[in-house]
Amino acid sequence: MKRRNFMQGLLLSSAVAITTSPTLLSAEEKPKKAGPNDMDYKTAEAAITGGKEIKESDTLKLTVPEIAENGAVVPVKVEVDHPMEENNFVKAIHVLNTKNGNARSADIMLTPLNGKGYFATRIKLGGTQDVVALVELSDGTFLKAAKSVKVTIGGCG
Amino acid sequence: MADKRKSMIKIKPKKFKVGDIVKVDFIVIHPMETGMKKDKKTGEYVPAHYIDSVTFSFDGKPFTTMKSWETISTNPYYSVNFKVPAKGEITVDYTDNSGEKNSKSKKVKPKG
Repeated sequence: MKRRNFMQGLLLSSAVAITTSPTLLSAEEKPKKAGPNDMDYKTAEAAITGGKEIKESDTLKLTVPEIAENGAVVPVKVEVDHPMEENNFVKAIHVLNTKNGNARSADIMLTPLNGKGYFATRIKLGGTQDVVALVELSDGTFLKAAKSVKVTIGGCG
Repeated sequence: MADKRKSMIKIKPKKFKVGDIVKVDFIVIHPMETGMKKDKKTGEYVPAHYIDSVTFSFDGKPFTTMKSWETISTNPYYSVNFKVPAKGEITVDYTDNSGEKNSKSKKVKPKG
């Protein structure tokens, strides 16, 4: 009899633990705090291009990992195969993301002295989303490349 | 206020000539706080603290200016290309949102 009582007690306690744990988890989820420069992707894109047409191009190469194990450190590399001459050069590279609180990561203003349209950095991603490279050429043309990154652990917030 | 942060400029490859395109890497030790993280001990939000502007210049003439936001990773790494025109010095100036200003220089010595 003693053994049976003991086993029943064990079962009960484990059942209690199972039922309570999910409720505890959901209670911890609170609404996210807004960041200092929050801006969604569409607003950011419109602010950069000023409503101009954006072309998809082969000359623009965006390198990101397909799966990022850690969202806090995601390497991003942008290369533009375009001449860097006095009147024909890559003016700016914008690195954007689609789902972070702040969609902008970096704006790089280049000059012909750079020799090549290239930029590399590491960014934070709060979850699985697209990384977008927007490139402005000196004649006002905008090029765009986007690639999805799967994030297994979040990095923002 | 302006404490000297650890930073580094790397030029790759090590050997280059005038006219070659080299990679200029700039790395700085900085927390890059988003303002959305909570301090586990006090339960208060850590205030946002991030680098918001970086300027690469060669002999005092800027060749790349950058705006960056808190979505750049902790201890940021910025890499650009540069076509070496002559012997000189590359300087990187950076400012963060608290107004802290710092800079780092490295001599450029092309061979041949």
